[in-house]
This record gives sequence, C-alpha cells and structure tokens, in this order.
Amino acid sequence: MIQYAAILLFVLGLYGLLTNRNVIKIIVSLNVLEIGLNIFIISIGYVSGGIAPILTSVNNTSALLFVDPLPQALVLTAIVIGVGTTALGLAFAKSIYAKYGTFDLDEVEELK
Amino acid sequence: MANLELLLLIVLGTGLVAYLLTKVNQFLGSVFTIAATTFAFVSLAAYGFNGGLDTTVQWIPWLSFSVTNLGFFFAIIIVFVYLMVSFFHPYFLDHYKYPSVYNMLFLWSLAGVLGTFFTENTIQLFFFFEFIVWTSMFLIPMGKSKKAAVSYYGFSAAGSFAMLFGILVMANVSGSYGLSTGLAALTGSGKEALVFVLFLIAGFAKLGAFPFHIWLPEAHGNAPHPFSPVLSGALVKLGAFVAVFALIRIAPFSVTIDAIALPVAQWIVAILGSLSIVFGTLMAIREDDAKKLLAYSSMSHGGYILVAFSLLDSVAFAGGFYHILAHALASAGAFMAIAAVARQTGTTKMSELGGLIHKMPVTYIVYLVAIISMAGIPPMGGFISKWLIFQAVLNKGMVLVTIAVFFGSIGSFLYVFRPLAALFLGQWITKYDGQVKEAPLLMMIPMLIITALNVYTGVFPDWLLGVTNGVITDLGYPALQVAVAAPFTLNGYYGTLAPAIISLVFAVGVVVAAIIFFVLKKSRKVTLMDTYTAANFVHNEELLHYTKDFYAPLERLYEKYTTKMRDFYNALAYKVKEVGQLAKYLFMSKFAEVALFWTILILIFLLWGEF
Amino acid sequence: MSAVLLIAIPLLVAFVSILSKKLAPWLLLATPIANLVLLFLVPTGIVVIGGFQPPFGISLLLDTYSFIALFAVNALVFVIGLLNVKEYHQFSSILLVALAGLNGLILTNDLFNLFVFLEIAGIAAYLIAASNKKPASVFHYLVLGAVGSSFYLFGLIILYAMFGTLNMVDMIEKINAATVSASALILPFFLMFVGLGVEAKLLPFNSWVKGVLGSSNTMSGPMFASVYAVTVSFVFGRLLNNLFAFQGNLLVVVVAILLLGIALGEAMAFSSKKAREILLYSSIAQASVVILLFVNGLVLWGALLAVANAVSKFVLFYVVTKAQKEVGCDDLDSLQGMFQGNYVVGVAFSVAALSVIGIPLFAGFVLKLGYLTELAANANWLAIAVILVASLVEGIYYVRMLVKLWYPGEKEVKVSFGNVATVVIALAAALLLVFGVYRGPIDNLDNTIDSVSEVIDLG
Repeated sequence: MIQYAAILLFVLGLYGLLTNRNVIKIIVSLNVLEIGLNIFIISIGYVSGGIAPILTSVNNTSALLFVDPLPQALVLTAIVIGVGTTALGLAFAKSIYAKYGTFDLDEVEELK
Repeated sequence: MANLELLLLIVLGTGLVAYLLTKVNQFLGSVFTIAATTFAFVSLAAYGFNGGLDTTVQWIPWLSFSVTNLGFFFAIIIVFVYLMVSFFHPYFLDHYKYPSVYNMLFLWSLAGVLGTFFTENTIQLFFFFEFIVWTSMFLIPMGKSKKAAVSYYGFSAAGSFAMLFGILVMANVSGSYGLSTGLAALTGSGKEALVFVLFLIAGFAKLGAFPFHIWLPEAHGNAPHPFSPVLSGALVKLGAFVAVFALIRIAPFSVTIDAIALPVAQWIVAILGSLSIVFGTLMAIREDDAKKLLAYSSMSHGGYILVAFSLLDSVAFAGGFYHILAHALASAGAFMAIAAVARQTGTTKMSELGGLIHKMPVTYIVYLVAIISMAGIPPMGGFISKWLIFQAVLNKGMVLVTIAVFFGSIGSFLYVFRPLAALFLGQWITKYDGQVKEAPLLMMIPMLIITALNVYTGVFPDWLLGVTNGVITDLGYPALQVAVAAPFTLNGYYGTLAPAIISLVFAVGVVVAAIIFFVLKKSRKVTLMDTYTAANFVHNEELLHYTKDFYAPLERLYEKYTTKMRDFYNALAYKVKEVGQLAKYLFMSKFAEVALFWTILILIFLLWGEF
Repeated sequence: MSAVLLIAIPLLVAFVSILSKKLAPWLLLATPIANLVLLFLVPTGIVVIGGFQPPFGISLLLDTYSFIALFAVNALVFVIGLLNVKEYHQFSSILLVALAGLNGLILTNDLFNLFVFLEIAGIAAYLIAASNKKPASVFHYLVLGAVGSSFYLFGLIILYAMFGTLNMVDMIEKINAATVSASALILPFFLMFVGLGVEAKLLPFNSWVKGVLGSSNTMSGPMFASVYAVTVSFVFGRLLNNLFAFQGNLLVVVVAILLLGIALGEAMAFSSKKAREILLYSSIAQASVVILLFVNGLVLWGALLAVANAVSKFVLFYVVTKAQKEVGCDDLDSLQGMFQGNYVVGVAFSVAALSVIGIPLFAGFVLKLGYLTELAANANWLAIAVILVASLVEGIYYVRMLVKLWYPGEKEVKVSFGNVATVVIALAAALLLVFGVYRGPIDNLDNTIDSVSEVIDLG
C-alpha cells in the first residue's frame, strides 16, 4: 500500500516539474519526487513483521525476522545527494534572480 | 618492374616535398610538381603497356594492388591529364590563397587515382575514392566560389556512400571484400538489383549525369582554372569506372526487351544517359561562362559514355572506352585553352571577350581542335568514338536514344562553336589593348601535345583501339574488328571506317582553304564600335557582341525549365533544414517537459497491455 | 596499489586543493598525471573494497575496456586543465571532483555506486556549466540531470526488488538464471536507459545540451563534449553489453530512438549557423551512433569511436570556443577566414572535422569502415542506411564550415591561440592521423575487451 503512495508522490513530483515554471516551485517538485523515490526504496526492504536489523542483547540471533538493511543504507546516500542537488539548485535560483530579477523561467526566456 | 606501392608512396611523399618547396619558392615547387607527375606518368606508361607493373610488394599491410586492363586504361588517361595540367601550375599558383597546399593536394589526389584503379579490394577502392574526393575538394574553393566545394563534396560523397553501401551488400553476399569475387557472387543472390542501383548512383553522381548534374557547372566553372581540366577530363571518369562494374559486370536479372535485345535495367540507364545528353546540350547552349558551358558539355558526354556501356555490345563498348579517352583529351584541351585565356585576360565570360585569335593564335588552334573532337567531327578522336556509338545504337534499334545521341552531336556544333566565336573570333575588345599576349611557352607544351593527340586519336585509332579491345575482352565480350595494316579500317555494323583516308581528305581541304586564304585579299579589321544604328553611335559594346542572345529563339523554348533540378536540390536541402528546425523546436526549445513527455509516452507504449 | 586509488586520489586532492588557492591549479595538473602513471601500475581485475567479498559490498572492475576509458578521461582532463589553468583556476577543485566521479563511473561494478558517481560527476558538471554564466540553462540541466538519475535509481531499485543484489556481475548472473519474463524487465531497463540517456545526450532526453554546450567556453565545451561524453558512453556501453537484455518492443523503441537521434541530430546541425551549435548537434548524433553500436554488440567499435570522437570534439570545441571568446560571436559568417594566420590550428581543426566525417587517412575512417562492415555482417541494413545518409548531411555541413573558416569573408578575423594550445591541438590531431593509418593496436583488440562476461563465466 505504501508503495502506491510513494509512486503517487513520485508522479506528483513529475507533474509539478511539468507544470511549474517557477524556479523555486520546480526545486520543491524535485524534492517531492525524490521523497517519493526514497519512500519507495525503503518500502522495498520492508518485511512484514520484521524488526530493525540491529543485533542487540535482546535480538541476538540471526534467526529473527529482520527488515532488509540495504535499502535503508541506500536511502541515506540518496537523501544526502538529494540535499546536495537541492542546495545547488537553490544557489542557481539565486543567481538567476540576481541576473534576471525574476524566478519565472518564462520571463527569463523573454529576457534572454 | 615498377612497384605500384612504391610509386604511390613516392607520389604521396613528393606531395609533402612539393609543399615545402612551394613554401620556399612557388616556381620551384611547381616545377617539382611537374617533375613528380612526369615521373608518375612515365613509370606507369613505361611499365604498364607491357604488363610490367609489380603488385607483389606489400609494405603497407592493408593495401594490396592488382593490375587489370580496365584499371590501367583509366589510370593512364587520368594520370596523363594530371601531367598535362601540372605544366600550368607555375603560372597560376600566385593567384591562389594557399599555393603550397595546392601543389600538395594536387599530388595527393594523383596518388589517390593510382590507388583507385589498381585494386582488387573493394574497401580499398572506397578508401581511395574518398581520398580523391577530399583532396580535390580543398582545391576547388581556391577558385571563384566557396559554395562550389560544398556541392562537389555533397554529390561526390552521395556517390561514394552509395557505392559503400553496395560494397557492404556485396561483401555480405560473397563473404569477402574481393571485387571480382564479390561481383561474381552477386549473380543469383537476389541482391544484384540493389547493388546495381547503388553502383549506378555512384557512377551517375561522379559522372555528373542527369539527375546528379548540378555540381558539374558549379565545380568545373568555379574551380581554379588549371584544376577544371582535371575535374572534367579526369576525375569524372571515376564515375564511368564504377558504371562499368554495374552495367557490364553485375548485369542484374531483369526482363529482356525482345525488340532491342536488352534488359530493362540497361534500357533505363540508356534512357537516363540520353536525358543527360539532351539536357547537357540544352543547358550548354544558353550558358555565358565558357567554363560552365564546357562543364555542361561534360555532362552531355557523360551521357554518351553511359549509353555506350548500357548497350552490352562490343562495338558500343569500344565506342564508350574510346569516348572516355577522346573526351578526356578534348575537354582537357578545351579547358586548358580557356585557362590560358583566363590567365591573360582575367575572365571566362564570353560576352567580355573577343578577337583573341590575333593575339593568341596557338591557343585558338588548341581550342579549335579540341572542340572539333568534342563535336565528333573528323578527323579528331571524338568522331571515331561517336561513330562507333552511333553504329551500336542504330543496330539495337533504340529510336529515342538514337534521336538523343544525334541531337547531342548536332547540339555540340551549336554550343562549342560559341566560345570559339566569342573568345577568339569576332572583333577585338578594345579594353584589352596592349595587355594580352600569347600564353607562355611552358603552358604551350601541354596544349600542343594534347592537340597533337586529339588529331592522332582521330587519324590512327588502330593502336589505341587495340588497347580498348584488351579491356573489352577482359570484360568477356568479343573484340572490335580493327585492321592493323594500312589503311587501318574499323568495322561497325553499317560499313567500314577508314579514318586515315577521311583525314587525308580533310587535310587536302584545309590546304586548299589555306591557299585561298593567303592568295585572296586581306579583310579589313574593324572594332566592335565601328558601327552605328538608326543614325546613332552605339556606346554599349556588350549589346553588339557576337554572342549576345546568340540562340535567343531556341533558349526561349525551354528557359523556364532550366532551374528545375537546381530548385529540386535546393528544396531538398531546405527540407532537411526544416526537419532540423522542427526537431530543435520539438526537443530543444522547452526543457524538462519534453524529455518527461516522451519518456512517459514511450513507457505507456511499452507497457500497454502488460498490466 | 589498487585501482581504487584512481578514484580516491582525485577526491582527496580535491578537498586539499580547497585549502590553497595558489596550489590548486598545480594539483589539478599533477593528479591526472599521477593517475595515468598509476593506471599502468595497478593490476587489472576485480578490486574488492573493505573486505566484503562480492556480491556483498562495493567492487571495482578494471579491464581493457575501463583501461581505455580511464586513459582517455585522465589524459583529456589533464589537457583541458592545462589549457584553462590561467583563466579558470577557481574551477580546479571542481574539475578534480569531476575527475573522481568520472573515474568512479568507469570503474565501478556496483549499480548503486554507479548512481552515486553519476551524481558526483553530475554535481561537478552543473558547476562546470555554471562557468558559462547562463544560470537559467544550467538550472535546466540540473533539473533534467536530477530527474534522470532519479529515473535510473527507480529502475535500479525495481531490479533490486526482483533480484536482491546490486553487484552488476551478480545481477547479470541472476537475471540469466531466473525465469523472469522479458516484459517484467521492460520497466526497470527502460527507466535506467532514460536515466543514462539524459547524460549521454540521447535525443528526446537531451534538451539541456543546447543551453549548456551552445554557450560553452574553452573549459566547459571540451569537458562536456569530450570528457563527459566518452565516460557516459563507456558506462552506457558496459550496461548495454552485459546487463540490459533488450528484446521485443523495448529493442524496437531503443533502436528507433537511436536512429532518430542520428538522423535528427545531423538535420539539426545542418540547420544551424552557429559554430558551437553545429558541433553540439553533431555530437548528439555521434553519441547516438556510439550507443547504437553498443546495442548491436559491437563493443570494440563503440568504445573506440567514443574515444576518437572525444579527441576530435576536444579539438573542435576548444578551437571554436576560443575563437568565440576572442571574436565575441560564434556565427560561422563572423568567423570566416580565422585560420588564415593559424595554419597549424587550422590543419588540426580540419583533421578533427574530417575524422568525424570519416574521411580516409584519419582515425574516423578506420572506425567507420570497421563498424559498418560489422553491421553489414549482421545484415543490419537499416542502421547502415541511416548512418550513411546522416554522414552525408554531416559531411556537407562540416565541409561548409571548413571552407568558411579557411577562406576570409569581408572582415578580417584575428584569433590567437597561444603556443601551448597550438601544440596540444596539433598533437591531438596527429593522434587522429596516426591511428588513421596505423591500425596495429586495433587489430589486437576485439569485443572481449569488456571482460564482464568472462568474470561471469569464472563464477
């Protein structure tokens, strides 16, 4: 079920990218898309009824049902990369504003 | 034994040396170029005619050579034209932007010629084809027009790529890149028609035959003056070389037309060849630039060659091969004479010239002999070849083609006479007073040699026909009957020709005319402006010029249609441009939307019906 | 010595170089050299990282295939750095990060790691593109790049859900062993194809190219057109050869995309008047040719063509962007006759252009004949026909360009290239000339330069 929600978010992000012409809104859409993707990745590793894949004094046998830890590691990396991209995107947004005085790409197009 | 690979490498090497020498001194570099081409021609001629060309040496692993009569026939003609033209270099190079490059590329394209005709490997054939294209391509823009190089490259490359496609198909059928094995393996494979068409496209494009003739006037007319003879006399013959493979050696399976005993494919080519003859003639008639006029005449002569090779008949083949030789000599002679005129006066426009016979009598003779040969009048080489082609066409009973070849021949009278009348005869144009004198001696040498050969090919064709007979028997057809003893007759279908006797009659005629000319009173010379009309003096010299609206009534009949093919190619280029602009608009003007839109569209297509 | 140093050194140096602005340009020049030396010292084969035996953990794969790519990338980065060290010294650290990312892309044997390197190289690319001073087009590039890599990640995760592994070799084994219907693989494969297609400049996904390359400078032009292009081609090739088993509709769609890319790319270049635009559309078409060769399994020819294109495009883009900078405009008409005083550069430029068209004596000809004959042996006539027609169009506009640049128009154009640039460009052109005549190295290589299938056979 959660996967459908994730894909919905992903598609919502795509929709935002397609319809928005405002730089900031585009960056937000990009983030929505990435969040959808991240949730999707997490959901792949989820095992129904599984527990966190950490060996503790309580959970100390591999016979227990753990969730897949790998997607979680992947998501961490993906989030970091996403943050980096967003930061860079915002920096470009700033320089677009500095150069053209607007955030609207259509107007930028006209000003060129 | 002369080693072909060594010869090729030497010519390539001399190209570099010529480059350096020309940098130091233009005259020195040009003389060296003459020496290098002479070396190439002499070694080829000295060893080639008695089968002494060595092909066994293999220094470059991916190059292999093989000598055939066909290849040698083409090579010796083309190298000869190169040799003749090289004598012009010392007097023209200073006009060009990059003289040292000119000499280098000239020699390199000569090396390409050596490679093209002496190979059994199809890939190597393509290699040298393209090599000639790019080396000659950079020579053309040194002339008048930069666009000419582009259209030359476009049509040449279209031809070579068509040939490459054919080569690849052939290799796919035969499993090897051998030329003979490939051509042999095609028979019965079902692919022969495709390769036939592709090779013919290459042949037509290189030969500048209809419908690929647009580049001829562009390139020949605008190329540097000494390079036009090479283009017209030598390099277009590459097309004939490829056409021979297609028409004679592939011969695809197709329905034979019983009435003329000829396959449909060959018949179509003959018709296209006739169209080339007719269109070339009509276009040449209305051209004002002497070089462009000769370029259109090349187109028309390309048509003759195609018609000859499509008839599948030894008399026609003899005519075709002899025509290649005769046209190479005639067109080289004519172009060289025009080049000499252009050097002395700075123009090739007929309406701006006149009366040059008084100042340049030798050039006049050279041009006169060349155009006599071109028009197919005895006693020059062009007559022999046209006579043979006429015989073969008549014998096949191809009415339309017969009309075309005769029309082209008569048309030749109409157009080649015009530059003669405009440039050399008529009244002297006063603006050249004191400027013009006869061409320098070094330029005279090749022009006179070519003139002598034009006559020789018309008077004593027996030995040269023996050479073409060698080519024809190689191709699997019976040789033309030529009497080796005097009076050297050759047999066609409708009678026997004795060129030497005809020539004798002509010689007597010329002598009688000369006697009359010298004995009678001299005519009085007047200038063009020495006239008045309606009691007024005329001040516009050009309007009174001999060639002004010379064939106006005839031209009016078809002048509306003369730009049709050019318009077609321009429209084609424009369409490509439009597609490009559309693609730019569709894929490049907006940003991410486009990519996403297409991705989603394709995904829907792919996953349709999966879920 | 391990191949991982090829990634680690540039990354480390990149961070070090931030500390000293003075030292940074020297570090930029030293690192690719060090990498090139290292490349000959490290052993080939699979490099296990962190002691995790494959298929667990990340592993790298160094074979002839990646060797060629690494050599080309490091050498080109060195050369580009050398030519721009004065003007763009503040970009030294970014070029080093880019180098690390690109080396990683080529070496990695792990599909998620590939995504990470794609992003590293991508972020570096956005910053390099920023040197064009056109923030809006860089922003387009950023969005498209981010969406592209998200698509790649999406496809990858679906594959992971199906097969439970991220190691490429392991994944290929599992795909071969499993009885998954081809249609189930369409979605992940196509998503990954699109993701990489954005970076590889394939036609419908490449709208960023015009904005970025169309206003590129002496650094960003060669970086994108040669370094990034060759890397992405090699990565794409690796995946296409081994992982992506395109079948049925998917194969049809992919081939159609590529053929359209070739034809439309050349048509777009034909309709352009600006030098940089002509070159960028031509590289779109060339990229499609390379990928098409990989799709047809012609690994060797695809790889060599990618390298030859990188060298030619480096020369072409450098010369054109330099001229644009000095003249202030890159309309062909305003650059007429720019080679008049620059014979060496002019000859090198002509050689590079002729090599791209595939004219005899230059490397491009050997390659073109090589892959065309292979395609003919597979009776792939449609591809041959499209490539030949496209080459014709390509030849016409390149010849038009060359003639214009050699022969002066009304205005005198003066461009000075400097000695270093002249020598470098001449060397690059000489390389194209040498490999156009001497084909010894090519004869010793074949499609097994890509050793993934061997690794799989060994288990």
